[in-house]
Amino acid sequence: MYSKEELFLAISTVIDPEVGFNLVEMGLIYDASCDEEGNAYVKMTLSTKACPMHQLIQQWVKEAVLKMANIKNVEIELVWEPEWNITMANENVKKALSRG
Amino acid sequence: MFPVSQDFAPPFKLISPFFILGSLFYLLSVLYLFFFSIENISMLDAKVVSFVHLFLLGFIMMTIFGAMAQLVPVVLEVGHFGVELFYAIWPLLSIGTILMVTGFLNYPMILPFGGVVVLIAIMIFVMEIFLTIKKVKKFNLVMSSVLISNMFLFFGIIFGLVMALGYAGMINIDINSLLKSHVFLVIVGYIVITIMGLSMVLLPMFGLSHGFSTKPLKIAITIVSLAVLSTVLSSFLDSKLFAYISYMLTALGLFIYFYFINTIYKTRARKEIDIYAKSLIFAYFSLIASLILAIIYLTLDYEPLLLSSGWLMFFGFFAFAITGHIYKIIPFLVWFERFSPLVGKQKVPMLADMLPKKSSSVQFIFGAIGVVVVAVALLLQDDTFIKAGASFLLIGALAFVRNVFYMINYR
Repeated sequence: MYSKEELFLAISTVIDPEVGFNLVEMGLIYDASCDEEGNAYVKMTLSTKACPMHQLIQQWVKEAVLKMANIKNVEIELVWEPEWNITMANENVKKALSRG
Repeated sequence: MFPVSQDFAPPFKLISPFFILGSLFYLLSVLYLFFFSIENISMLDAKVVSFVHLFLLGFIMMTIFGAMAQLVPVVLEVGHFGVELFYAIWPLLSIGTILMVTGFLNYPMILPFGGVVVLIAIMIFVMEIFLTIKKVKKFNLVMSSVLISNMFLFFGIIFGLVMALGYAGMINIDINSLLKSHVFLVIVGYIVITIMGLSMVLLPMFGLSHGFSTKPLKIAITIVSLAVLSTVLSSFLDSKLFAYISYMLTALGLFIYFYFINTIYKTRARKEIDIYAKSLIFAYFSLIASLILAIIYLTLDYEPLLLSSGWLMFFGFFAFAITGHIYKIIPFLVWFERFSPLVGKQKVPMLADMLPKKSSSVQFIFGAIGVVVVAVALLLQDDTFIKAGASFLLIGALAFVRNVFYMINYR
């Protein structure tokens, strides 16, 4: 129904309020897929296990995908392997963070 | 709209009194400095003891307790046993602190009453933490440090109450023999180990640090814990050997801790030196300066060195580590409560937008200059310098109070 890129585009509206970048450019979204019945699946991580916003961020991702037409259900899998690090972020994020 | 879970962010109305009162007690502690003269500054002077309790209970403990209401679920990864208990802690801690400060100054008879009220406040906190820890299934280093530090606090506060009863003449005890244990259990055992443990979670989280080893922190916490136990033994055995061992272990543990912090700093992806980073850099250099002065004191036995070391530990390390984190914790809690329900519906601020940039810089610059000037004044035993440092600190403290209110009222 939707490609991985289309799902990623929808999720890229979710911004981490602490760092100011969206989750996709941060490299926090590992995978996304969706079947013909409108069931979407998102595999993601967070920059730290102790993130106090972890429940909220997952809710925002869910809401962002649910906004897409014909999506009925969103399953989010939060994983810690591979552990996130800055090399997973895109070049813009890396540059902005390293500027100081 | 999905329901927003409060598991990891207790209601802000529960936590905000801790930060407001903490900032006001910090301001009062700074004002207190103007009433010191160099002749009466010694470690056991009633005015100094009163001042230390005002600062440590009113500002440091108050702010740490408020922060823990939010941080405990984050670091323990379980919900609070009874977060509502925190509603009872801040009024009791405030009243107890005021009674104790007054008791030390003029009315020793009210000291035990203040001590009992503080004891109740701290026991509620400690028991709530213990019952929350009970829910943890698998312990990691941070969880262990929370458990260890709260056990030290439990015993430290009991020692304190016994001393308060002795100070008021209600029981006959040798206060001096308990003093070191009380100081080490609460300051090193609780405050220092709490900061050490939490820094493993908070510093990498805000700096986006990865790939560092936690082994140095484990070693540092073990050594500092042994130092606290050694101090308690030295009190009971009246052993100078154990006392010196504990001083050396404390210094060694804290130097290793500093090395660990440096590895987090070096591996951080976020290079921005914002008010948080500046505050922590100042805090950790104050810690090192404090340790160096303490080591020199052990060799020269010159009391101003110890006073200056203690000053840098309290107003440099503790205060700036705490104010730095306040600039992260308050915006998060306010944002969580006021703006998180609006995400996706309207433009919401980033957490950094909620900081008063100029005013936080004023707090940092004036506060840091004040800390350094007073540290030098204590070494030189110069009254005018102390007042000058206090003046800088006063501007910093006023800015800090203003910043706390600004962030809390951000809309």
